[in-house]
This record gives sequence, C-alpha cells and structure tokens, in this order.
Amino acid sequence: MQYNPCVKHKLIRASTRSFAEAELAPIAAEIDQQRIFPREIIEKMRELNYFGLQTPKAYGGAELDSVSSAIVVEELSRVCAAVGLCVTVHNGVAVYPFLRFASARQKDIYLPELASGNAIGAFSLTEANAGSDAGSVETTARKQGSNYILNGTKIFVTNGGVCDVALIFALTSSPEHKLQSSVFIVESKYPGFLRGEREDLCGMRANPVSSLFFEDCSVPEENLLGKLGDGMKIGLATLDNGRLGVAAQALGIAQGAMETAVKYARERQQFKKPIASLQTIQNYIADMATEIMAARLLLYRACDLKDAGMPFGCEASMAKLYCSSVASRVSSLAVQIHGGYGYSKEYDVERYFRDARVTEIYEGTSEIQRMVIARAILSQSIL
Amino acid sequence: MLKIVVCMKQVPMVTELPWDEETGTLRRDLAAGMMNPACKHAMEAALQLREKYGASITAITMGPPAAEEVLREALAMGADRAVLICDAALAGSDTYATSYILARAIQKEIPGCDLVLCGAYTSDSETAQVGPQLAEELKVPSAAYAEHLEISGRTLRVRRLVDNFRETLEMECPALITVSMERYDPRYASFAGLNEAFAKTDLAVVDAKGLGITAVQLEACGSRTRVRRVFVRSAQKRNVVITGAAANAAAEFLDKYQRKISAVIGKSIETKKQAQS
Repeated sequence: MQYNPCVKHKLIRASTRSFAEAELAPIAAEIDQQRIFPREIIEKMRELNYFGLQTPKAYGGAELDSVSSAIVVEELSRVCAAVGLCVTVHNGVAVYPFLRFASARQKDIYLPELASGNAIGAFSLTEANAGSDAGSVETTARKQGSNYILNGTKIFVTNGGVCDVALIFALTSSPEHKLQSSVFIVESKYPGFLRGEREDLCGMRANPVSSLFFEDCSVPEENLLGKLGDGMKIGLATLDNGRLGVAAQALGIAQGAMETAVKYARERQQFKKPIASLQTIQNYIADMATEIMAARLLLYRACDLKDAGMPFGCEASMAKLYCSSVASRVSSLAVQIHGGYGYSKEYDVERYFRDARVTEIYEGTSEIQRMVIARAILSQSIL
Repeated sequence: MLKIVVCMKQVPMVTELPWDEETGTLRRDLAAGMMNPACKHAMEAALQLREKYGASITAITMGPPAAEEVLREALAMGADRAVLICDAALAGSDTYATSYILARAIQKEIPGCDLVLCGAYTSDSETAQVGPQLAEELKVPSAAYAEHLEISGRTLRVRRLVDNFRETLEMECPALITVSMERYDPRYASFAGLNEAFAKTDLAVVDAKGLGITAVQLEACGSRTRVRRVFVRSAQKRNVVITGAAANAAAEFLDKYQRKISAVIGKSIETKKQAQS
C-alpha cells in the first residue's frame, strides 16, 4: 500500500478537479435548488469516460484502478455531490454487477452502452418494506414462456428519473417452488416500466432520485443476471463495492466543506482579526483535517484490497461508516464556522451540510455497516 | 511530417502561495502542481495543427521530478512523446538560463523540429520572456500572443491581437510561437487517455550532462537576474471628509478626485464640468 499518491493518482485528481471547478462549480448551487439534472455537463462527462471508470478498455471504458475511481468520485463530490452520486451509482452498483456476474452476451450488449454513458444505469433493491432488511423484497418476477413478468414498486432509485438500464431485484420461485430473489436487467423502454415523480429530498437534489413502477413489465429470460436465486449474493457483493463509492463521495463532501470553511475563516473578521486566528476555530480546523486524512487512508486501503483481489467487504464498510460520519461532522463544523451565514442558502456550506447527511443512510445505514464489521471481527479467531 | 515541440511548465494550482523569505522564490512544495494554463492552450494548438496537417508532437519541460505530471497530462491529451529536463544543478534558473537549456534540449532531443509552441506566459511568474528568449537561442523567427495558426508549405501564418489591433504575420518554418489564452480552448484529457499515458514509455528524462552542457557552460549561461526583494503590495484605505456647503463640497470633491473617477469609469468627466461652468 502506498501512503503517498503516485503520479497517476495526482494527475487523475488534478484532471477531475479542473473539470469539476470549471464545469460544475458555477452551477452546483442552482441545480441543487432547482432540482436540475445537468444533461449538458453529463454529455461532456460521457466523452471523458466518467461512465466507464473501471470498465475494461475492450468495452470502451477507462479501466482505472479502484483508488483512481474513488479519487474521481471524491473530486466530483467536493464540488457537486449530486453529480458525484450519479457517477458513483452508475459505475459502482449498475456497471459493477455486469463486470462480476453478467454472461459474455450480456456484457457485449450492455457494457459498451453503459461505459460510453449512452445508457445511464441504476440499481434497484429498496422498496417500501425492504430497506435495511434487503430480504423482504416484494416485487415479483413470474415466468411466462421465455419472459419474466415483473410487478412491484421500487423507491429511492438514484438516477431513477433518467436511467436507461436498471438492475431490478425481484422474487422468483425456484423449481422447488421456494421464493428467492433474482436480479433482472431491465431496459426503460420495456412496456410496463414506469417512472414515478422525483423525490423532493433534503440533499443530492440535482439527482433525479425517483420511484420505479413495474406493471406486467415483460423482461426476456436472457436478461436474468447470474443464476436464478442469486439476488442476495449479487446484492451483497455489489453493495460492498458501492460502499467504496459512497465513502468516496462522503470524503469529497467533507473536503469541500472544510476548504470552504478554511477560506471563510481566513476572510471573516471578528474582534478586528480573522476568525482563523482564534484558537477555537483552529481546533475545529485541526479536527476536520485530521479526520479527513484518516478517512482517506481508510478508503484507499479498502480500494487497494479490492484491486489486489482480496476480500474487502469489511474494510469497505469501515470506510463507508467512517467517511460518512466524517462528512456529517465536518460539514456541521463548517456551518458552525460560518455562523449565521452557514445557515443560509447563499453559502455553499449549507448544501454540503444537507448532502452529507444521506451518506450515513444509503448503501447501508451506519447501523448496518456496524453489523457487517462486527460480524467480520467476531468471526475471526485471531484479531 | 511536421515536427512540433510544445514547451510547458508546471505551476502551483493556487493563485496565492507563500514564498521563501531567503531566496525570494515561491514555496512550490506547498501546493499541488498543474500544467500552466497558457501551455495547455499551446498544447491544444499543436493538437489542432496535427489534426489539420498531420504532425508529431513532443512535449518538453524543465523542472523537478514532479514535473513529470504535466508531461503525462500532455501525453494524455495526445502528445506522441515527452522530454523532462531534470537536474538539481538547474534549479532556480531564470528565464535566460531556462531558454538556453531548453534550446540545447530541443536541438538535441528533437533535431529538425519545424515549430516550437509555448504558452504566452505562466500563471506563477508571468514574465512572458521564455518564449521570445528561446526563439533567440534557437535563432528562429517568432511571434508572441498568437490566437490562430495556419501552415501552407513551409510558411506559417500567425494571427494575433496586439494593442487592440489584429494583425496577421507570415514567417518561414522553423519558427517559435507563443500562444495566448484567447482561442484554442484546451480539451480535457479522458480517463482512458490518462491511463494510457502511464502505459506509454515515451518519456525521456535528461540532465545537463546528457544535453552536453558542461559546468563551464552552465556557469556562463547561468541566471543573470537575482530576486532582491519580494513583498505584498498593500492598498491603504483612508476616509476623507469634505465639509462646507453642498455646492462647494461637490466642486472640491470633483477638483480633487475627477482624475481618479475618470480612470475608474473609463471616460473623462472634466469636459462635463467645463460645460456646466
């Protein structure tokens, strides 16, 4: 493991940062308030491989390592977390299952489209009664001839309003009539694929998070991902990977919030001097910077494990748990440093504060992460 | 095929950077580096020339080992090869020394090049000197602040905006052009390109000895300028109270400040006053 960034990682960071600052920074506040999905910027991002970060070159991707991929999401989220969310969900939980579980035919059909960003991906597990309890999915897929007929409702689907391809978790019955979940590749153009209203959320407002309805939606049987009944296996493996992305996103939000607060503390004069000269503010800044550095090392280590082909689920949960709590703490302190102005939409820090909160909730709540980590630790005989 | 060299410099990513009180040089170690913005425009100009006429592009820079980053970026944008001049003995070179060394490196590493492109100026020191000085060292014609380039045969046509006049110059290759930031908006490097840039092995690292520059020559071509003092320009605010009757106060105000006001609004207010009187 490298503790200092290599030239490649520095360059990936600098390149993403210059793109984010030139293209996203001028619109981040507006698209948040107006709930606009920035299609023009997404078009530019398509050509630069933002939608094929880790997809192999053979399918038109950039074939980046996991640390590079985390850096990209981190830098986007440092400026605009909602766009960071679009990218990390597309790559981390919509494309990743194809890389791991899809047949050669499915890869040939879908990966070039997804890697080029021609098709935006979504991952759809959550339902009204299936959140942390992912086993309680109620959407059904009934076999009819050479198709599966899907019925049910998915909620809080990131990219839901714009996705072209969604991975849908639905209950199927095994030959022994046992109910188990399976994953289907569903194109938005299939009849019976319906989108709900966009959710009016606290943060990440530029992302078209919405519900998806399936009303007798007919899906060809060759669109079953993996094997019948593989739902839980695919879901858990995908979430392990998705957590690296959400951790990166949280880290980016924390970094952005800290930088905003440091700039403000240098400029804001009280008691005839910049508030950055006050020890209390310095303590806040020291704590923020230290926690961000620790979070970053934790995340990159988990990414390194993944690239080395080692198990990384526990470390991904640790990174997600810690990075998201750092994002919440740091953005809250950043608001505090801004005082009353930090509570105003005039200042970016208010957006960071709202965006940070959900990182402790989605892709597995902090409570679920602790459960995953504790299970892993308790199952080891030697610590 | 056209041989193009693009000279570039790594500059700090932030606009304000502390400097070393003793040497008067910027504390570059404190900031992440990036390709100087104008150099990026020069790189874009080279890429567009290649798309139109066909060319090979070599990116070259002088700097510490970290300057490799800008060369990798140039490779990611589309450069064919890159040369890093890296030698602790060359640290602290001024524009004169830099252009001398760059000239030797270009002559040795890219012999017979047709066109050298530089950014018009750097965002850190902003002297805009290295380009023109390098042209002198290479003994080739040059033009600064170009916004458009065309080539026909061996003739280079350069359009540039100088002193509010747009002029078109022609010169024979080989030539040196510094590119302004008015046109040639640089493309972003794709991630596939960035990844590829690290797979490429076409990055040569050379030192003074490798360029055949002897210690005696180094001494002779050494920096001829020395930073005597670096300081923050301070602007002081002062409140001025003008008392008396309103008409007199207004007259006194105009009398004292009309030149400053004219400068700010961009037109003279003196005539108005005369017309009124």
